[in-house]
Amino acid sequence: MTLRTYVIRRLIVIVPTFFFISALVFTIIHLAPGDPSRILIGEKGRVPQEILNYYRAKLGLDQPVVVQYFLWLGSFLQGDLGYSFVNMRPVIGLIGERVRYTLELMLIAEVISVAIAVVLGVIAAVKHYSIIDAIASTGALVGYSTPNFWMALMAIMLFAVQLRWLPASGTRTLGITFASPIDALFDHLKHLVLPVSVLVLLWTAYLLRMVRSSMLEVLGQDYITTARAKGLKERIVIYKHALRNALLPVITYEGYSVGYLFAGESVIEYIFSWPGLGQFMVDMAVLRDYPTLMGLGMIIAIMVLLANLSADVAYAIADPRIRYE
Amino acid sequence: MNKTTLNKRLHTESEEKTKVYKPSRATRLFTVWRKLKRSKLALAGFGIVLFMSLVALVAPIIAPYEPGWMGSARLPPSLAYPFGTDARGRDMLSLVIYGSRISLYVGVAAVALELLIGVSFGMIAGYFGGKIDEILMRITDVILTLPELMLLIIAVAVFEVRSIHIIVLVMGLVGWPFAARVVRSEFLSLRERTYVEAAQSMGASSWRIMVHHILPNVLPIVIVLATMEIPWYIFYEASLTFLGFGDPASASWGVLLELGYYYIREQWWMVTFPGLALFFTSVGFNLFGDGLRDALDVTLREY
Repeated sequence: MTLRTYVIRRLIVIVPTFFFISALVFTIIHLAPGDPSRILIGEKGRVPQEILNYYRAKLGLDQPVVVQYFLWLGSFLQGDLGYSFVNMRPVIGLIGERVRYTLELMLIAEVISVAIAVVLGVIAAVKHYSIIDAIASTGALVGYSTPNFWMALMAIMLFAVQLRWLPASGTRTLGITFASPIDALFDHLKHLVLPVSVLVLLWTAYLLRMVRSSMLEVLGQDYITTARAKGLKERIVIYKHALRNALLPVITYEGYSVGYLFAGESVIEYIFSWPGLGQFMVDMAVLRDYPTLMGLGMIIAIMVLLANLSADVAYAIADPRIRYE
Repeated sequence: MNKTTLNKRLHTESEEKTKVYKPSRATRLFTVWRKLKRSKLALAGFGIVLFMSLVALVAPIIAPYEPGWMGSARLPPSLAYPFGTDARGRDMLSLVIYGSRISLYVGVAAVALELLIGVSFGMIAGYFGGKIDEILMRITDVILTLPELMLLIIAVAVFEVRSIHIIVLVMGLVGWPFAARVVRSEFLSLRERTYVEAAQSMGASSWRIMVHHILPNVLPIVIVLATMEIPWYIFYEASLTFLGFGDPASASWGVLLELGYYYIREQWWMVTFPGLALFFTSVGFNLFGDGLRDALDVTLREY
């Protein structure tokens, strides 16, 4: 099978999965006994039935759920995610404004944590049972045993409240006009430090454990002994022969954990008032903004499915045997 | 002679003939314990898990105050109040001790529910294979695609009743796909073994083979998975609570953290101690899980 047919076959499988996901999320959202029009009106207690009916008809909630789903699906296929109940604006625009903040945070944290994890993981595996290995492994244990939001709270308490080194929320200092774009950029970077550091500490912990154990497994294999017996330099054995194979499970893990990483990042966004998709999702879930929640769910589903696919493709390129399975 | 008595007779006869040494359950448990004991870290993990469970069990005896007792508000840690007091004057130490009951309940109950669904799904998919496997695994994939926490947020948000039991129920309903995949892939390989064929040839039903013959061999991996997932569910509940979807009536560690969050600028102890409790519990389960994995000789890979 060529790589192209492999990718096409995988893409075809994605389509039905995507429809199932949209139906599932739609069902969960509309399962609720309550009524978002009541939340929209904002009145507690008795609201005249005519007013509720008017709102329900306006939002399209008076129709059966199945009809609502197919109406939603119809406009979705035309690229229309509908209007937000709460903001009275197209959902696609609302998401578009926020997606770059989420991507910024995730990409920066991801690149840094992969770099740290690979370097430390390789050292820990090569110098098995050394002090560096012990420190790296303990650090990883602490990292993945710490609740993400608690680590964020501790970071805020220490660096923002006690030491006053770094800002604790938002993307820029409010109420200040910056002398130059460089100052503005610097201010933005200062706001990035805490959320990025918390994410890096958490994500590195998982990756580090994985790189270390995968590297240890590869280093014990016969072809490594052969490479050493041939008289190759240790550097080449480790970085060219071992690392390439050791990184294969890491690639899969990265591709398949995008959804999980996003969920963790949402909590961090919420705590640091970072105006990305995660914080938005929490706010809209409280207000029961059905179209926005659907839109967010679909964007995330597409993101995850594409990440899964690219992980498989990357794996297929790195290890051609996989395509023939 | 009906089938079951025949089976029983065949069983005892073959046992008498071969006299296979089969260690008793206690002996097998002891073997696992001996292997576990070799690793100091695993032992430490076991100790922490045991300690936390004991604390939860005897909370009313060891807590210095009743959870509802109120004194002066926002006192820093002192001899009288080792963890300080909260905004309503309740003793933080007692709250953390009582909180262990709820947080551990959440972790254990959610995992139990998840395993009930996940193991059944995985068992059926892996044993029967073919069309059934395809359909069940498609459903699993769909749920696995969406981040668990996101599904939890949406699902819990739509329930108007804020109850810890509903949170547990939703977590179990949302969290099973990973366990299902693990169990399925074990069943896929184990169903090809000769002992399954032997049981089939003796006329054992599919249900009997799945539950009595294959499932016991999958148990070690399920136990390791459960140990490692308990802290996850405790974290999920705490995250959900923190994001405003929790049950304020049950003072889990997550609820304590959420309450302490408002006083983070002045009263550091309110968020520090419940978080430390979460952290230690999680370290305990992780170390214990790692140790069990080695002792039971299980490899958990990405599925």
